[in-house]
Amino acid sequence: MNLRRHPVSAVLSALVIAFLWLPLVVVFIGSFDTNSLLTSWTGATGHWYNEALHDPNVRDGFETTLIIAVLSALLSLAVALTGALWWRRAHGRARALYDGLVYARIVVPEVVFASALFFLFLKIHFTLGLPTIVIGHAVLNSAYATLIIQARLVGLDPALEEAAADLGATPWRTFRRVTLITLMPAIIAAGLLAFTFSLDDVVTSYFLQGTSQSPLPIVLLGMIRFRITPEINAVGVFVMFLTVALMTLAVGVFSTAGRLGRSSRKSRIVSLYEG
Amino acid sequence: MSSDAAAITLVALRKTFGDLVAVSELDLEVQRGEFFSIIGPSGCGKTTTLRMVAGFEDPTAGKILVGGRDVTGVRPYHRSVNTVFQSYALFPHLDVWENIAFGLREARRPRAEIATRVGEAIKLVRLEGRERARPSQLSGGQQQRVALARAVVNRPDVLLLDEPLGALDLKLRAELQTQLKDLHRAVGITFCYVTHDQGEAFSMSDRVAVMNAGILEQVGRPEEVYRRPQTAFVADFVGASNRLRGRIVSAHGDGRYRTEIEGVGERSVSGAAGLTPGAEVTVVVRPEELELSTASTAPAVIAATVTDVAFLGSQRTVRLESKVVGNLVASTGGGTRAPELGSEVGVTFKDEHSWAVPV
Amino acid sequence: MYLNTLLRSVVLSVGTTLVCAVLGLTLAYFISRQGPRTQRLLLAAVIIPFWTSFIVRIYSWVDVLQNDGPLDSLAHTLGIVGPRSHINLLYTPASIGIGIVYSYLPLMILPIYVSLERIDPAIYNAGADLGATPWRQFRRIVLPLARPGLIAGSIIVGVPAMGEYVIPEILGGGKTLMVGNIIANQFQETGNYPFGSALSVTLMALLVVVLFVLRRYQLSGEPS
Repeated sequence: MNLRRHPVSAVLSALVIAFLWLPLVVVFIGSFDTNSLLTSWTGATGHWYNEALHDPNVRDGFETTLIIAVLSALLSLAVALTGALWWRRAHGRARALYDGLVYARIVVPEVVFASALFFLFLKIHFTLGLPTIVIGHAVLNSAYATLIIQARLVGLDPALEEAAADLGATPWRTFRRVTLITLMPAIIAAGLLAFTFSLDDVVTSYFLQGTSQSPLPIVLLGMIRFRITPEINAVGVFVMFLTVALMTLAVGVFSTAGRLGRSSRKSRIVSLYEG
Repeated sequence: MSSDAAAITLVALRKTFGDLVAVSELDLEVQRGEFFSIIGPSGCGKTTTLRMVAGFEDPTAGKILVGGRDVTGVRPYHRSVNTVFQSYALFPHLDVWENIAFGLREARRPRAEIATRVGEAIKLVRLEGRERARPSQLSGGQQQRVALARAVVNRPDVLLLDEPLGALDLKLRAELQTQLKDLHRAVGITFCYVTHDQGEAFSMSDRVAVMNAGILEQVGRPEEVYRRPQTAFVADFVGASNRLRGRIVSAHGDGRYRTEIEGVGERSVSGAAGLTPGAEVTVVVRPEELELSTASTAPAVIAATVTDVAFLGSQRTVRLESKVVGNLVASTGGGTRAPELGSEVGVTFKDEHSWAVPV
Repeated sequence: MYLNTLLRSVVLSVGTTLVCAVLGLTLAYFISRQGPRTQRLLLAAVIIPFWTSFIVRIYSWVDVLQNDGPLDSLAHTLGIVGPRSHINLLYTPASIGIGIVYSYLPLMILPIYVSLERIDPAIYNAGADLGATPWRQFRRIVLPLARPGLIAGSIIVGVPAMGEYVIPEILGGGKTLMVGNIIANQFQETGNYPFGSALSVTLMALLVVVLFVLRRYQLSGEPS
């Protein structure tokens, strides 16, 4: 490492990275603290993890969060995939509009979307609850999913689809046998990303949950407001590991895509399956 | 398909992209079983024409017939035509075997038949042992052979090849040209080949079509196109040429004309059809047909100074400058003595080696 | 009264963006000057905390910043505060600022890194060869080339930061301290939808103007 050449930036960088990791370490350590006051360390215990596992609030919240995450990820993928495929053939104004919509969803504060959706559902008399949260998450996360799928789509050689047509494949068969397969890593990565973002979402869930069971982040928020105990830390640590694992998986899937170094046997299985 | 129908018939084919006319009023026939090439500079419309035959572009006007059957507007997956792409377009997620089998699977052929035919194709392009490899693991030449096999295995009425050797180095190209010709003979399918490389097309084809800016300039056997170009463009495109200015004095019929050539005098010259007396023409003489001698002042001889001599092994390229006719290029055998730089020589040519084209 | 909050939101957003820019630039520059393996490692170190639950990360700062917490103890040990007083950082605009910087810093580092990563290391050698001191090099080579990344980062940080809800909620102690909180409040508790919407629209309008200006700035600097 070129530490000697850039002493100033090296030190600052080290501090910044420490800054980024500090809170996580604190939460991790705190989850084992016997003392519920979190202000002084009195000894290690797994008690809080036990509490978290048996807390009905936490369990219901987690279950709800999982359901929402799966549904909204699927919805995000549907929107992203169809949108990206359309976008590929679009020109000029239409294309710019679509790009703008994607950009807007990423940059504009979530609070604006959340309140707007809240208002919309109110106006059309659509009851707030799980479905609205799913829709809300999908509206936002489909933007990220779109970017990922678009990135892969752009790299797809158009000659491949022409070749498939040339060899007798109808547009649907071409999509199934060529386009979809090539896009699959991006679809998986995008799905995992949408899933992870949904797991973590606060603002939109808060606005659109109505009177139904709150997803986990809202449950946590309530716990933080009400009474701070290491149980929160325990739940936090658990969620931490889960999201890091999912994101690592997403990155792994997406980067191996570039190499396509799968064994030949898999290629035969792929073709047998598609008939 | 009737047995005497041409493999491909293009009728008044036209393609425009907005204001750009890519192909204009093209009428062409490709005979069954022949190796046919379309050549021309970049942008001349040859690739567009090929794509229209394949079905990837729809013509703005005109008709396309394959085997006598009108396929204008028919989608590529319903045409009995297969393409070998310039970039090969091999499916990266499938191995060699599955790539080749792709079209057969689409046609829902029985498994046993697919196995047999793919095996044959692999043997034909000599890729035994590489069936399980991925395209990324193959060399350029090997990928090209897979692309060929993938197209040929479907036994199409016509095989279209879009500059398939463009990405390969010279030595490999020469090798593959030979293999292509052998393949053509082995399978007997009509080949329609597109390239900008005149030499390549000439060495492989039964007939050649020259295109320029969307227009068909000439069609014929390679030797014919080379020796008897119908326009100045074709003359230039198919080989280096010396150009002399001239005017038709009288026509003999049977393609021979009495022509006044600037700097040389009146000569009896063969030429493109339909030249009329008084017409301005360019008289084309190939470098290898120019004869150099030391007698630079004899009548009907062009006096010229040697400006450059290049030795190429099997031949020598001599550049000359003449005050009367401008620059000339001569090609002599490597074994003859080299003319001295700066020396005065006399340049002549035989009547039968000259050819007149409209200016 | 609400104008106060709006002003505070703007100040916080601008302030945190600036802090992020400085820190982000330093870190991005440092990373871009390392070998490829080290770069990947450092990038992972920056991104992985970002993958953990948002709520958890913000909540962790409650832990760290509270009186009698680790930071407080450290301040006592270092003698920054007297034995009977505390740092009193939590539940103030300052803690919100720290929370925002913490959450958005990776979003600033990444675009700048992408811009800087493209620089051929030979350019630095050339600069030194022509007699530029490290600081001069930084100003005349790094800064201009990092510009597109800086602007992109500022947009991705500054704009959403304006509408932050969770961070002021948790680290501001539940008192409405930013625009986002007021909007949420109007919809959730007060039920004053027209006002909430008006605020939302105002926020958006403000941001659109800022975005427009920044995009103009960004595009003018880009090579055609």
